[in-house]
Amino acid sequence: MSDPSSINGGTAVAMVGKDCIAIASDLRLGNQSLGLANNFEKVFQFGDKTFMALTGLASDVITLKETFRLKNNLYNLREEREIEPQTLANLVSSTLYEKRFGPYFIGPIVAGLDSKTSKPFICGFDLIGCIDFAKDFIVSGTATDQLYGMCESLYEPNLEPEDLFETISQALLNAVDRDALSGWGAVVYIVTKDKVVKRTLRTRQD
Amino acid sequence: MDIILGIRVQEGTIIAASKAATRGISILKDTDDKTRILNTHNLVAFTGESGDTVHFTEYIQANIQLHTMRENDLELSPSAVASFVRNQLATSLRSRKPYQVNVLLAGYDVKTNTPTLNWIDYLGTQTELPYGAHGYAAFYCSSLLDRHYRTDMNIDEGLKLLDDCLEELERRMPIDFKGCYIKVVDKDGVRDITK
Amino acid sequence: MSRRYDSRTTIFSPEGRLYQVEYAQEAISQAGTAIGILSTEGVVLACEKKFTSKLLDNDGSAEKLYILNDNMICAVAGMTADAGILINNVRVQAQQYLKTYNEQIPCELLIKRICDVKQGYTQHGGLRPFGVSFLYAGYDDRYEFQLFTSNPSGNYSGWKATSIGANNSAAQTLLKKDYKDDLSLKDACNLAIKVLSKTMDASSLNSDKLEFATLSLSKLEKGKTVRKIWKDEEIDLLIKESGVLDEKKDDDE
Repeated sequence: MSDPSSINGGTAVAMVGKDCIAIASDLRLGNQSLGLANNFEKVFQFGDKTFMALTGLASDVITLKETFRLKNNLYNLREEREIEPQTLANLVSSTLYEKRFGPYFIGPIVAGLDSKTSKPFICGFDLIGCIDFAKDFIVSGTATDQLYGMCESLYEPNLEPEDLFETISQALLNAVDRDALSGWGAVVYIVTKDKVVKRTLRTRQD
Repeated sequence: MDIILGIRVQEGTIIAASKAATRGISILKDTDDKTRILNTHNLVAFTGESGDTVHFTEYIQANIQLHTMRENDLELSPSAVASFVRNQLATSLRSRKPYQVNVLLAGYDVKTNTPTLNWIDYLGTQTELPYGAHGYAAFYCSSLLDRHYRTDMNIDEGLKLLDDCLEELERRMPIDFKGCYIKVVDKDGVRDITK
Repeated sequence: MSRRYDSRTTIFSPEGRLYQVEYAQEAISQAGTAIGILSTEGVVLACEKKFTSKLLDNDGSAEKLYILNDNMICAVAGMTADAGILINNVRVQAQQYLKTYNEQIPCELLIKRICDVKQGYTQHGGLRPFGVSFLYAGYDDRYEFQLFTSNPSGNYSGWKATSIGANNSAAQTLLKKDYKDDLSLKDACNLAIKVLSKTMDASSLNSDKLEFATLSLSKLEKGKTVRKIWKDEEIDLLIKESGVLDEKKDDDE
């Protein structure tokens, strides 16, 4: 009950397809069992094709969103280019490990396409910054267990963008329906070489 | 058991805060004002650990006013005030003794002519809402507000809905909270409309 | 006389002057000219590159123009290395303000913050002042487009058109003569070229010797600005279109 990472609820997932990636989150913000808002997005964009999802304690989600915006903006000014997903992953890792003995209670996901090679990249982290590189999918949040089940059964490699959208949406929707702390709508980003598409999903409102 | 409630309507934001100051089983005072004016278009209402609450909000009030003076009378917008308060609480959360203060921020953005209500708890969780409350009041009033709130409400309709909420609270809460101060923040600033 | 009072920045001379600060200002008046002009549609900054060489391996980024944040750019006159320190500092300050208030920092407040750093080095002993003046072009929703300068003493001021660096008084005279309140951004660019063509000692004007930047409002997103540091080809085209080269020829004949 007083576990900081499950006070507010919320879930996110990322998947790799054929020359594309998808990253999605639910929209719920709660205070224990009480729902507060159904517009709390947990996916943030850093540059053209680099994304990060943050689940866990909402206060830390906001703090880290702002911290990474600051670090990313300074990176852009210094380097005069946009950050790569790989670079962001290492930035997240070192930023979290700085707080090794008083961590942020979050579970980040980084996903994107490399600006030069357009190679898909996804990874997840634990709360102190250990990177979990994956070839297929990464899950995070209060519906982690349910998401693993859904992803294990629905995921297949080399999906086209439209099929990847369907797969990630079904995985997320059916996982959050079995979690009392997640849901209340969802957002999905589909990232391909030439464009980024954002879709909002309507879900059950209970 | 303190009550703070906020409703955002078309022309402004309404805040209700209970008048009772309680300690243990005693009511110490029935004229306790749990709100502070931060600047002409921002009002904060608070609940939480006694001592922390007043100290924290008056610290925020002083800092917002200092900013106004430094910026030759340019006042911070409601969203900037909310971000500032959130940051203070989030920083405090990881200090030796965190402030245990939950706040509602009622504001009116004079640049965009929009009223706002910001919900922030002691953890630094912040969200902009059409209506909201802290503590037990949230449990009693949320469903009532979900059912009867409309985005096109005016101040009078908002006050009527607020009265319904307070009536519910008076009926269900185990102790007398001695009624509420009711304040409105709109384009003309903050005003007290307690009956 | 001055020998006795100029070794440390913190000491006033009997005439009430701070020699080190004045020397810093003197160093800047040797540096390449930078001019800034405010127009109804935006701000233009232009500067003269003093050191040019065929052998210089340029990475493509501007030498004297810097982006500070989403709504400010600046031009430097003086010691570029000193400027780097201040610019880094100001970028961090701007981002920290954005983090705490979720709003862009007002232009004047950001300038005030850099100037506090500059002022500090004229008072706290043992260190020399920063040998740089800045021209800032900014936009915020209260005052819209703005143009400021600051100098090593930590003083700053707002302008409609001004210049810093070598020949700045000559440039200001020209600006005073030709500035009008209803300039378009294009007019301001042309005026900037015209003034620079007359104040620079170099005979031919081209992109090798010039840096150019503009700050204007985005047509796509309301309230957002476009900060553009011009490419060489764009500068050359502007020089050609402005017709200053023709005038020069006429003068010569």
